[in-house]
This record gives sequence, structure tokens and C-alpha cells, in this order.
Amino acid sequence: MNYRKLDTRLAAALVEMQNPEEPALAVFIHMAQAPDSSAATFLKDLGVKLSSPCQQIVTARVSPRDVEELSKQPWVRAVKLSQKLRMLNGK
Amino acid sequence: MIHEKIAPGLMVALEDYQAKGAAGLMAHKKLLGVIVEEGSPRPARAVVFIRCADGADFEHLRANKVRVNQARGAVRTAFLPLSHLGELSDDPKIRRIIPSRYVQPFMDVAPGAVHLPEFRLQTNLSGKGVIIGIVDSGIDPQHPAFKDRILRIWDQTLPGPGVAEGDYGAEFSGSLLTVSRDTHGHGTHVAAIAAGADATYGGVAPGAELIIVKSSFQEAHIADGVRYIFRIASELGRPAVVNLSLGGHGDPHDGTDPLSQIIDAETGPGRIVCCAAGNEGNDNIHAQIAVPQGGNRTILFHVPPSSGEDAVRFAALNGWYAGQDKFEIAVRSPNGFQTPYQNVIATGLSMQVYDLTDGRVRISTPDLDPINNDHNFLIEILPLQESRHPVTPGTWRLRLRGVDVHNGQVDVWALDNSQRLDVLFIGRSVQDTMKIGSPGTAAGAITVASYTTKNHWRDRDGKAQETGLELNDISDFSSEGPLRNGSHKPDLAAPGAMIAAALSRDSTVAPGYIVAPGFRMMAGTSMATPFVTGLVALMLERDPQLDSETIKTRLRECSQVPNQPAGSFDSKWGYGLIDAFKLIRYFETAPAAPIVEGKDSVQIGGVQVKKRA
Repeated sequence: MNYRKLDTRLAAALVEMQNPEEPALAVFIHMAQAPDSSAATFLKDLGVKLSSPCQQIVTARVSPRDVEELSKQPWVRAVKLSQKLRMLNGK
Repeated sequence: MIHEKIAPGLMVALEDYQAKGAAGLMAHKKLLGVIVEEGSPRPARAVVFIRCADGADFEHLRANKVRVNQARGAVRTAFLPLSHLGELSDDPKIRRIIPSRYVQPFMDVAPGAVHLPEFRLQTNLSGKGVIIGIVDSGIDPQHPAFKDRILRIWDQTLPGPGVAEGDYGAEFSGSLLTVSRDTHGHGTHVAAIAAGADATYGGVAPGAELIIVKSSFQEAHIADGVRYIFRIASELGRPAVVNLSLGGHGDPHDGTDPLSQIIDAETGPGRIVCCAAGNEGNDNIHAQIAVPQGGNRTILFHVPPSSGEDAVRFAALNGWYAGQDKFEIAVRSPNGFQTPYQNVIATGLSMQVYDLTDGRVRISTPDLDPINNDHNFLIEILPLQESRHPVTPGTWRLRLRGVDVHNGQVDVWALDNSQRLDVLFIGRSVQDTMKIGSPGTAAGAITVASYTTKNHWRDRDGKAQETGLELNDISDFSSEGPLRNGSHKPDLAAPGAMIAAALSRDSTVAPGYIVAPGFRMMAGTSMATPFVTGLVALMLERDPQLDSETIKTRLRECSQVPNQPAGSFDSKWGYGLIDAFKLIRYFETAPAAPIVEGKDSVQIGGVQVKKRA
């Protein structure tokens, strides 16, 4: 696992996960440049649909094992955990 | 007379009329739908709403000069001599009688405060041909304010095959729109501010069509929702503006988080995103400290006592500092237990776990963030494993030691399990700046602060309601900028308190916030943002190719911070309160809006305005 590509929250979340194969992590995948064919294939296997060939940040639902594989890919710049936001009406 | 059926405000008016005649009604005239002239022989009359059985027939009441205006419906209007109120209440098919109030056109006073009616009259714009996208808690598709204008709903929370942007949720259109429900009400209210069509509480762009994403509020799903809306808009060949009245503080507060970057990538000509600045103006969620080389500094934060369902079970600190610096981090508990100092861990897992008597502390200190090349650290505090107690209450301390210091500034944001902002900073490190989080940090988005145009109102039963907000001022809850990298956010301010707009029939609301059947009050930068979203829709109607920078520049040029020179930036106001009428300068002269005068109302530019007696 190349932890330098993972944000702090994703690294912390991986510690909590019991099943390395469970696709329970909603993540953003930052790519160093627009994906080439091998990167596109890799992403497709993860269930990622590229809406445009120029997309450099995609969303995906992945397992800890997927995160490990992503972290090893030279075309992956960073993998960041999606966080829950909230509505901004008054208390 | 059956008193229980008559709203208290009307009862008081009737009693005053019976006691003092027309003179007794003068005070009520301004608030209720009472028509009376002092010294006139004509009896006082009232315009009321009635709740009744859907198919009830009230023709027989005409003999008593009580006129129910609609033949069907569970909520109708009626016009009657005030003295006949009792007879109306006696009718078994009547359930309740509520006063109709004199209201301003559009959303009550908010549009007038920013000269929107004048802008609409001059330009005859309604948002027609523009798509407004709302990523939020859903919408009430049956609300009359949106009739025939909701194109699609992608409900991400329901099981289904999803859409191109994500294989989750279900997409609805046409008669199936009603499958999706807005049980919170926030999304319905936001959509109505931007694009509701209603004679009393209409939105800014009542001619625009809507694409709705009912979201789980996961950042990744919000990003998918933005892409979905822009894709549909492209397929339809329409310009679009997306409203994001949501946010958080788990990001670096500099616009380099992935959601902000996706927004930047997706915006372009005819593709605009508006975001809320946040509501933490009164909350100490940001601390800043300067740590010298070799020096120690401390940031205090407080965990309140808590119990039961609302217990604080998780507290977190999200810290950021310049990449060329290195600090060691330690945490001290309320009862004096401290973790060791932890340096940057450049290889392997950067998280260490420390079990103190007061709780479990996890400290993550990775090397440089690969996107912005700054250092991030994360502190997480939990009860000791298997403990049923909440996080130990009291004053905790974040300790920083300068190992290699060139800049020295450290910024930290407090988070907790419910995002309820229970955990707050105290002491000298509290900073009322940089409280705008993602996606309000997106450089390409228009980020909106809240301005207060109303601080008191009467609910549907005539009871006075109020807030402590200062009228005609920036709302004190509106989050301050700038961003951590100094970028100017928010961009501008718009009316965000107190705003009346559509109420979702599937939501639960405290009665004091319901102002009329189908309409409720709400406040927040959530409400200010769709105001600007609607304004952007009007601008796109005239020029569908406007891009974000041009729109933002124009909006800024038409905004002003009170008592400041034009073009001034303020951390709370942004470039100031928008004056919609000043946008006229960017539009070619258009024919003035047609005016159609009826007996009791005037239609101006497609908007019905009641005539006053």
C-alpha cells in the first residue's frame, strides 16, 4: 500500500475495516492526467464510468483491496475518502 | 359560533369589531385580510382561507353573503362580512377558518430588499429555457409551486439501477416523480426560492425548469449529482445552474478538495454552480496559531457534557499547515493525560492510537498531501473501546511543537460525530475567519453569504414569531471567509433570513414556522444561495453562454458592502449585498413587462399581485 497517496481519513478508515473485499468506501480518485486505455480499463473494472475522456477526478465505491491496488498505480495521484456534508439551514 | 374552528387572530378581530365597530379593526387591517373603512356604512368584510372537505358545496351560504370562491378543494378562499364569521364556523363541512394576510409579491420582503421586482419588470425575465439543478433533500413534486416544471428526479437514496454517473438510486420523470419524497423539507424550500411559481411566495426564476437530485449528502454522490444535472442539460441543449446549499469542514479550506475541483472542472459557459457559505458565523469551529521554531503552543477545545442519543461519541480536529513546515502533535485530556508528541510519519500508516484514561486518541500525521503539498493532520477522540460513555467532557488541549518552521501558521477545524458543532475551540486561538468549507471553497462556484431581511412574522394562526437576528444586516450566523490560501470568499450576500417558501407536504415543521398553507419560514445560507441561483438563471435566460467568471464579476460589481467603497471585500459580506437592479446595465433594453389589471389583482410580468383595499 502506498499510503502517501491516501488522505488521512481514508487511511484511518482502512484500519477500521474488517473485510478487505467489501466495497464500502466511497472515494474520489485523482489521476495525474486523463486516463489512458489501461487506466480506463482498470477504472471500468471498479465500476467507474468516465463521462468524458478528459476527466481527472472520478468517484467510486471501493474495497480496501481496491484502495491498495489503486495506490500502486502510477497514474493515480491520490485517493481521498468521501465525507458526509450537511444542509445549511439554521439551527 | 364554534370558536375552535376560528384562528385566534380572526377571533380577536371579531371581538374588537363587536366592541368598537370599524374603529376596533384599524389595528388588524394591516395584518389580516380585513376590509373596512371608518365612517363607511358598508360592513367590515374579511378575506379568509377555509379548510374543508374536498368536495363540499357552499352555495347555500351565498344567501348570507358568504362567498366561497372555489367549488372544490380542501383549502379554499372565502369572502364574507366579518359579522358572519360565526355562521361560517357553524357549517359542519368547515374545519378551520384562517385569516388571509396582506403579503408582498414574490417571497415577501426579501426580493424588494435587493430590487429584484424592478429588475424583473424591466427585463421581463423569468428563467424560461434555463435549467435549475438542486442537489439536496429532494422536492415535493406535488407542490403547486413546481407544477409541470420538474423534468427529472434522481433519487440517490432509493434502490435502483442508477444513472450514467452512478449505478445507485433511481431516476424518475413524469407521473413517477411522486415516488420520490422530501421528508426533510429543505430541498423543497430551496427549490422554491430559486424557481417557485406562486402569487404570494414566488421564487426568483419562476419560469425555469428543475432537475432534482435527492442526495445522501455524501460528497462523492453530490459530485455525481452535479455531473448528472449538467449532462441532462447538455442533452436538452439548455444552460444550467446548480444549487448546493450544503457543506462541511473536513476539507483543507483552500478549494483543493475533490468536490471543489470537480465543480471547477464542470463549470463553463452556461454551466454554473452556486454554493452556500455556511452557518458557523457564531461558532468557534476554527482555531489558528503561530508556532515558532523549537517552540510549543497549545490550542484549547471544549467537549461539552452529553448523554443519551445526543451524546458526543466522536470528536475530531482537521489541521492544515504549509508543506515546508513540520510540527509534532500531542493531545492532552481534561484530566491531564497526554499522548506522546508525534512527528510526521512519511512512510507506512501515519496513524497512531493512544489509549488514555479519558479516551482513545488517534493521531494521523502523514507526509505532504499529494494535491496541495501541504501537511494535514487528523486528531480523533473516541471513548475507550467498548465504553458506553461519551467522549470525556471538558477542556482538551492540542499541543504543537515546531520541528522545522518556515511559515509557522497552523489552522484547525473542529468536527464531531453528528456534525452538530458540539466540539468548539476556546481561548486565544479562536479565529472568526476561514469558516467556509467545501464546496463553498470552489474557485469556480459563486459562494453566497446570508443577509437578514425579516426577523419577525405571524404564523398561520396569527401568532407573532420572532428571531434575534439583526434586521437589514449580514446574518450573524453567516460563515466568514477568506479561504486558507487567502482567496476571497464568500462572493456576495443575498437574503437568507427569514425566508418564506414552499413547504414539503411530507416534512414535519413546528407550527410557528408555517406562515400559510403550503409555505414555511426557514433561514440559513441555504436560503441565500438559491436566491442567487435564481438570479443566475435570469442572466442565463438572456445569455445562455455566460461563464462563471463573467457572472461572478457582474454580480460582484452589482454588490456593495454598506459604508465601504465600491469593490471592497469583507470576510463576512464578500463583495456585499447584491442589488439586482444594477444588473440592468448588462442587458439590452427589452420591452417592459406587460401589465394586466384585474378587479382584485394586477399581473405584472407574469406575477400576480393582490390589490390592497
